[in-house]
Amino acid sequence: MAVTPVPGSEIFASRPYTNEEIRTDLPEHLPLYPTDLSGVEVDPLTYEVVRNRIFAITDLMGDALRRMSGSLVVTDCNDFDVALTDPYGHIVQVGPYNTQLVASIGLAIGWILRNRADNPGIEPGDMFLCSDPWVGGGLHQNDVALFAPLFHDGKLFGWTAAVAHQLDVGGVSPGSWTPRAEDVFWESLPMPPIKVVRGGVIQCDVEDAYVRRSRIPKLVALDLRAKVGANKLGHERIAELIRKFDADTVQQVMQLQMRDAEQRLRDRLATIPDGTWTAVNHQEQSHTGDREAHAIRLKLTKTGSDLLFDFTGTDEQSGMINCTFTGLYGGIISAMMPLLCGDLPWAPGGIMRCVDIISEPGTLNNATFPAAVGKGSVASSWATTNAVMECLSQMLDTHPSTRSSVASVCCGSWDLSIVAGLNQHGAPFATSILEPMAGGFGAGSDHDGVDTAGLPFIPMGKVPDVEMNEFTTPLLYLWRREETDSGGPGRYRGGLSGSVAFTPYHSPAPIYQVISGSGKAVSMNRGLAGGHPGAAQEDIAVRGSDAAELLARGELPSTVAELGGTPEFPSNQEESLLQQGDVYVMRWQGGGGYGDPVLRDPELVAADVRELKVSRDAARTVYGVVLDDSFTVNAAATAACREAVRADRRNRVQG
Amino acid sequence: MSAILGIDIGGTFTDAFLGDDQGNITTAKVPSTPPDFAEGFLNAVDEIGRKLGRSRESTLSDVDYICHGTTAALNALVTGNVSRVGLLTTKGHRDSIYIMNVEGRYAGLGPEEIQNVAATRKPPPLLPKRMVKEITERVDYQGNVVVRLDEDKARVAIRELLEDGVAAIAVSLLWSFVNPEHEIRLRKIIEEESPGTYICLSSDLSPKIREYERTVTTVMNAQVGPTLRDYLAPLTEELELRGLNGALLVMQGSGGTVSAQDAPAQAITTIGSVLTGGVVGARNLGRKLGHRNIITSDIGGTTFLVGLVVDGEPVYSSSTTLNQFTVSTPMVNVTSIGSGGGAIAWLDAGGNLRVGPRSAGARPGPACFGRDGEEPTVTDANLVLGILDPKTFAEGTKRLDVDRARKALETRIGAPLGLDAEQAAAAVFEIQNAQTADLLRRVVVGQGHDPRDFVLYAFGGGGPAHCFAYGADLGIKEIYIPLGDANAFSAYGLTTSDVVLSAELSNPATYPFDAARVERQFAELEAGLTARLEAQGVSFTSIGMRRQLDIRYTAQMFEVPTPVGSGPLTDADMDTVISDFEHTYEQMFGHGTGYADAGFQLINHRVFGIGSTAFTPELPIARKAESEDARGALSGTRRVFLDSRRGWEVTAIYDYARLTHGHRLEGPAIVEAGTTTVVVPRDASAQVDSLRNIILHLDDRRP
Repeated sequence: MAVTPVPGSEIFASRPYTNEEIRTDLPEHLPLYPTDLSGVEVDPLTYEVVRNRIFAITDLMGDALRRMSGSLVVTDCNDFDVALTDPYGHIVQVGPYNTQLVASIGLAIGWILRNRADNPGIEPGDMFLCSDPWVGGGLHQNDVALFAPLFHDGKLFGWTAAVAHQLDVGGVSPGSWTPRAEDVFWESLPMPPIKVVRGGVIQCDVEDAYVRRSRIPKLVALDLRAKVGANKLGHERIAELIRKFDADTVQQVMQLQMRDAEQRLRDRLATIPDGTWTAVNHQEQSHTGDREAHAIRLKLTKTGSDLLFDFTGTDEQSGMINCTFTGLYGGIISAMMPLLCGDLPWAPGGIMRCVDIISEPGTLNNATFPAAVGKGSVASSWATTNAVMECLSQMLDTHPSTRSSVASVCCGSWDLSIVAGLNQHGAPFATSILEPMAGGFGAGSDHDGVDTAGLPFIPMGKVPDVEMNEFTTPLLYLWRREETDSGGPGRYRGGLSGSVAFTPYHSPAPIYQVISGSGKAVSMNRGLAGGHPGAAQEDIAVRGSDAAELLARGELPSTVAELGGTPEFPSNQEESLLQQGDVYVMRWQGGGGYGDPVLRDPELVAADVRELKVSRDAARTVYGVVLDDSFTVNAAATAACREAVRADRRNRVQG
Repeated sequence: MSAILGIDIGGTFTDAFLGDDQGNITTAKVPSTPPDFAEGFLNAVDEIGRKLGRSRESTLSDVDYICHGTTAALNALVTGNVSRVGLLTTKGHRDSIYIMNVEGRYAGLGPEEIQNVAATRKPPPLLPKRMVKEITERVDYQGNVVVRLDEDKARVAIRELLEDGVAAIAVSLLWSFVNPEHEIRLRKIIEEESPGTYICLSSDLSPKIREYERTVTTVMNAQVGPTLRDYLAPLTEELELRGLNGALLVMQGSGGTVSAQDAPAQAITTIGSVLTGGVVGARNLGRKLGHRNIITSDIGGTTFLVGLVVDGEPVYSSSTTLNQFTVSTPMVNVTSIGSGGGAIAWLDAGGNLRVGPRSAGARPGPACFGRDGEEPTVTDANLVLGILDPKTFAEGTKRLDVDRARKALETRIGAPLGLDAEQAAAAVFEIQNAQTADLLRRVVVGQGHDPRDFVLYAFGGGGPAHCFAYGADLGIKEIYIPLGDANAFSAYGLTTSDVVLSAELSNPATYPFDAARVERQFAELEAGLTARLEAQGVSFTSIGMRRQLDIRYTAQMFEVPTPVGSGPLTDADMDTVISDFEHTYEQMFGHGTGYADAGFQLINHRVFGIGSTAFTPELPIARKAESEDARGALSGTRRVFLDSRRGWEVTAIYDYARLTHGHRLEGPAIVEAGTTTVVVPRDASAQVDSLRNIILHLDDRRP
């Protein structure tokens, strides 16, 4: 579906800017604090103390934001993050929350410096709000970022930033995801950087313009205050740090931290053999009614200590699954951080100096305005992460020193279900079903993936308790469980995912539902080295179920078959109504496996069957392991069974 | 005559503190005796008797009650040496304790471990999946029965568990805290099938919303209840044989107590038993000294522990983390990091100097212990810097090897960084001080307080040596170092504690709250507490109740405990509660962060029932010195390095044994006090108070 280009919109497309490019256009009344401080000696001791303090400050900012926020996606899913940057927007430290989000903070700050310094100006006490994924600061319009310039001695010393997913920022569909969107004008309109805080005070005209577009303006306003609070806290603490150690030292530590992260990453990369690795990650269906699969293609080339990510050949932008360049950038960082940088300072400003990117504008993960990008975060940005993870893991698998960092692709997408309507207390509500946060982790070269583990780029994700969900939303959960056989089989098994089944309960009105998420027909959560992919995503809407009668009769259904009614299999992109008597079942993706399943230690398979992680049937047909009734391995039958599996493979290849 | 006895059992030592109504104090310290800690308990009682020159019987016959800090439950859980347990839960929700709300993959880990996502794992499960039986039943958020309990199926499941040989059965059903009917019925069925099996209902133990935490709490309680029962029952019997007429009370993590008889049913509430002793001791010493706001800091061998007393009461949290599981039991908030004296200094892959969290422990111990330890620790750095004396460490019981300490610092830290051994030691000292200061600030500021409004208490083997640095970093002016008769600090805390019980109940509601309903909930909780206080076997002079509501803005995840006045409550009281909540919230998160338009939700009701005893032991007042001049306690001088801006300084060394009330000394100085070493830096002074505590004044010479 072609979108009509909007002349003049190119100005909003951020790219990484060099310091020189930024400096050239800055007005004289906005002096930047010097970052080339070669004369400033910082002894190892001071470096370590200040570095620790910087870490503690972002940690504190994130904690404050999370405690103040009113959105479950923030408080529970940790779909937010905070960062500290140098004057140019190079990220010195990100908080350990959603690393996808902060990746493009730097792009947005560069943009603000180039486009806001003259008019309306960048002054102490200002904060800029941004929800424009082309500018950066987030991956889609729901990611609303707040940037706060930090001054010292009249010079711009750095920036703090807080960004969080807002549940609804307007647009055609509740939750701001519009499966039938033809372009961005069907979605929440991007808001480029706008000065919402002036002299430390929230400007109510600007705030109104922002929250007016939301269906839940009060929660959005509460979260705005949470971000203001987090930035203020960060500024106070940095000011204290400067008072104690002087500004040159603090700035120099910021620069050294980025250099340290870069150097250590380069050292690590240099030990790995040079080479090229490829991956393709598909998403099926880009919008309501679409029947195509859309590919992101990646060729990773490692030369010395440099990584080149070449996305040439990626399919054209389509429907509403696109992401902007900032989504591509975030997609790369969110795979690199957990795989390559777990024990390095989380300073993307340094880490990304090892990275070059080739990508064609107008493609799925480098969409041009006004393509629809409302789902970018969990669609093409996430698929980018999958492809990057697959390539990086193949690369890490080539050297003994890095093999233990290998991880197959984890849960490959987000099983989205936004529900909105009136809750049982008579108040409007709009929320996302958060259980898919419990994705399976991919298996490694020496361990199983963690079951219902979370998402690798959200180190501290969380799902709320069923009781909290039932208290705040008009739903009754029939089950919430780990799913047997959902982990990708392999010599090391991928982590299990789970499923939920819920039905409207004490809901005064039908529940409006937005359904979105690929990976139902194609596997996005691929295995490695012969490992199988994890389970695909599956949603089932059981219309007119017998649930109410069953419950009244004293029965608790635990399968779709028991529910009666008419099961429907929603496509990837739909909007619908959940009526009284309907049951909605969601099963999200498990982690990919590693290595050939018939090489898995039969005792581990037996333990998995005992713990309901693998069925007896799968143990025999996939792993070639035969168990007797008491969960012990029948060695002879197992040997025969595995030989049969191998013979079958040979036949298939030859046949 | 009547007396109160505190017995605090730690991993290494068992401390006893006896105080009577005549103002006499007797303390004893004996080795702990794992795995049978009861032996050490009884030895400590004997040691008290020996010091008093009295027989066993007469030692105990005057004791009104014994307050006991025990690690029995905690040790069992940490080592996995627990009873075989089955769990009954609502059909469809068995996996709650396996999914662990996802947070189980990282809960309780340090920030750097959390950042290394790919290396994180969930802990081994609490129990095998097949030991969890799904029960057909369902209650909704209002307490309505949606699916009636299928008793026949439940009975079959219970029989299967019993055949499997379980020692205890935990029962945790959805929404049981609103309607416990099904849990109660299940208990009856278990009792019918197997009288005597230990049963724990979530609606009894932890009637609070959030099924994951509630179920974990119930299961863990069932795992250690029988253990605690098997420890306390024979101990109680033995104490009675030895003449104890009073009650045996067990310290809880909340800072309250529970009778030995009731303790097994609430075993999980005793897991913080020993950790909290220091905070409770500080609260009590603070009352005597007139301190309402106290930061407690304790540097032991492996950890640095921080707690807070605000407005005269310890700060609580409603849950804690154990083996990465979230346990819902009120605990005095004690935060820790691996920054004890044994914390190892090392260089990370980028060549950055780090201290901890790994500890050399008791074995091999710091390099200077001369065993097999080759890695430099904080203790090694302190030794090289002259802060510790190799001859007087630990009352002279352990001679330290300076050369080994130097060598470890030089080879592991100095050489790679281009520093000599002394510079390396100074760097370790600075980093240790910076990271302890960071934790302190995080605890204090993170809860919305200004550290300058607090006095700092420093104890444990290492606290008094480092507190001047982390205290100054926070802008604190006065640091109290409890010494004298308060050195068995936790055991002292046990004896001076009021008997405090707590009860909680969830009944979530949205604003405006129904005052009558809230009052009913509180009245119910208070009636239960009064009965439990009376069952403690202690006579109280008065019983008081303190009420709290946990409130949050709509759909926030975190509640703020907000005090509520005594009843009967009116709608006006509800408005007061809301404005108090908003005030506290803005204090925690900054002016302008509150947002009333979002609406309010009430999540939990909580009451503390406080029984005051007839007397509390008084610490003896020391003889006042004739003058401030402390030179009589001088034992020499040595070179000490405290601050890289000053380098080595000749420093006076004082012997604490010869210091008394009224003495004053100027920094730089070091006071050697047997089990600990006090550092007084330049530009600071120290004085000895009437209880022989040392008070450091950091801001000026003459306060």
